Amino acid sequence: MKQRYLPKVFMALIVISSLLFSFQSAFASTPKIEDEALGRTLARQAVKDNKRWSTIDHSKIDALNKDFKTGEEITKACISCHSEAATQFHKTIHWTWLASGDKKDIRYGKAGYSVNNFCISGNAMEDKGCLSCHTSWNKKGVEGDVNCLKCHNDSGFNFNEALGDIKAFLEDGDPDTNEIATDLQQEVKEAVSQVTFPTRKNCGDCHFKGGGGDGVKHGDLDTSLTKPNRMLDVHMGTDGKNFTCTRCHTTVDHHIAGRIYTNPAVETRKSLIEDDLAPKITCVSCHSDEPHKNDSKMNDHTNVVSCQACHIPEYARVNPTMMWWDWTKAGKMKNGKPYIEKGPFGKPVYKSIKGEFKWEKNVKPEYFWSNGSQTSTTINDVIDPAKVVKVSHPVGDKNDPESRIFPFKIHRGKQPYDKVNKKLLAPMLSGEKGYWETFDMNKAIEHGNKTLGIPYSGEFDYVETTYAFPITHMVAPKENALNCNQCHIRKNSRLANITGLYMPGRDKSSLMDTIGWLSVFGALAGVLLHGIGRFFTRNGKEE
Amino acid sequence: MFKKYMSTSMVILFLLVSFSMAFASEGPGGNDRKGKYTYRKVYKACAKTGGVESATPKISPADKTMGQWQEIFENKNFDEFGCMDNWSVLPDKDILDIYSYFYNHASDSPSPATCK
Repeated sequence: MKQRYLPKVFMALIVISSLLFSFQSAFASTPKIEDEALGRTLARQAVKDNKRWSTIDHSKIDALNKDFKTGEEITKACISCHSEAATQFHKTIHWTWLASGDKKDIRYGKAGYSVNNFCISGNAMEDKGCLSCHTSWNKKGVEGDVNCLKCHNDSGFNFNEALGDIKAFLEDGDPDTNEIATDLQQEVKEAVSQVTFPTRKNCGDCHFKGGGGDGVKHGDLDTSLTKPNRMLDVHMGTDGKNFTCTRCHTTVDHHIAGRIYTNPAVETRKSLIEDDLAPKITCVSCHSDEPHKNDSKMNDHTNVVSCQACHIPEYARVNPTMMWWDWTKAGKMKNGKPYIEKGPFGKPVYKSIKGEFKWEKNVKPEYFWSNGSQTSTTINDVIDPAKVVKVSHPVGDKNDPESRIFPFKIHRGKQPYDKVNKKLLAPMLSGEKGYWETFDMNKAIEHGNKTLGIPYSGEFDYVETTYAFPITHMVAPKENALNCNQCHIRKNSRLANITGLYMPGRDKSSLMDTIGWLSVFGALAGVLLHGIGRFFTRNGKEE
Repeated sequence: MFKKYMSTSMVILFLLVSFSMAFASEGPGGNDRKGKYTYRKVYKACAKTGGVESATPKISPADKTMGQWQEIFENKNFDEFGCMDNWSVLPDKDILDIYSYFYNHASDSPSPATCK
């Protein structure tokens, strides 16, 4: 009898020992509360000792302590010390408004053939309405002098207005206005000396307000980022690290890091551990490509899913952004005059000079494969007007090792195209011959296309277009990152249009499900049959 | 005689029409550029004495239409602006300049202006 029970006791001891060992291992693998994700540790190290220091107080420099009459005089004062700054800057896109360093290559750029589905074209800098965002004095474009203060002054002073008024007052010979001019020159002098590295406001004065207003274009760039909190953006939050734009968009010789039309920001992602000279423009550079805690399943996603996809759940979380611009509706009048109609959010939903708009807030991104580059349809590219034209769209593929699933804002609209030549058109908007004066789209197109040297047949119609903006700012705190079941879910998955790959929870295979269930019930049936068989065939072998 | 009479009448009529057209041209005739700074000076002075919190004026030309500003300034109804002590000592010429600034940069003007 004892021999009969010994194997059973031995088996029981083995099972109990295994359970105890597993139990202990389970406790041992639980991370300590103070353990931090690798990405956070690396990022803290990367931004340690972030304080800038300076060897200069510009208010003590004689060259800047003058009664300036023009912006050009101010620039001359700047380059009297910073002798190479203007020459460097002239070679960059912020000056040329062309993507290529070769001035003859005008394929991509606001000053070239590039268009969008907002104000459409800069018309080779002939449309002066666009030039308030050019880095020259007095909207002179590349014919003028560099306005250093646009990026390097944080006084908030309106230099263009003040200098224009000073000139007018000094010329009109009125002692009262001469006195105003003298006071103004003193204000200019005080403001000029507030020289700084670019602040978020410097960059945002243009990049937050592109397309004609706050938040019109990007969706993840608007004036709410001038002084955001961590909830809006963990990097730029004034209650957090308070990053300026140039903290990530690093600059060499005035070339600022970032995507330029079809050229991605970087060719490959590298962390600062792999290469301490790697550009800081990507998340990976500071956070590495395994930024989560060691035992986290999320680290298995980083070769497929971008950081932004999970960590920017919605964009335009404070200010609304424009989602639709229909040029076909432009030109309506009330009592013979152009008018503006406002809608929800207090934003214009109709302007006679521009057409009809729609705005949204807390917008869920649309997701596409992206390797960092985008297509760009210019006014010199043939289009198929029977389909929606993708003026700018992400480039990427599931088989491309550099591609990740990335969030985008897709701005939709309708804009004019050449019915005969099948190309998008570039109407001139501001100025005497512009649409905003004449309300004659045909004439505006004739004039606008001429500035770019692109023939126009004389016949136009409208086509529906899209323009994609990568969503990479407004990074939310980690507790607000997406949950697994916002993607890995059968219905309403955020990644519903990412096809060609299997996603657990989202996708199912009826064949595999059938095989699986058959296996489960088959095994159960097998066990039951075996047990029943053993019971009825025991034949009194037990005592 | 009749021809002479007709010619003279035509000339007088022409002159009258031209003269009235000059008056009919829109807007006050002050110096709007000077008016901008006079307006700012009012608020700077008012802020120094604690009459307002900030020297940046709260009311901008683009807040109203040309017609609305015309009504306010022709009736000298400046209550909305506040700082009445500063407004009351302004000479007529300065008020005309400020009126020109507001009228020429009203919301329905070619170049609406806001104070920053």
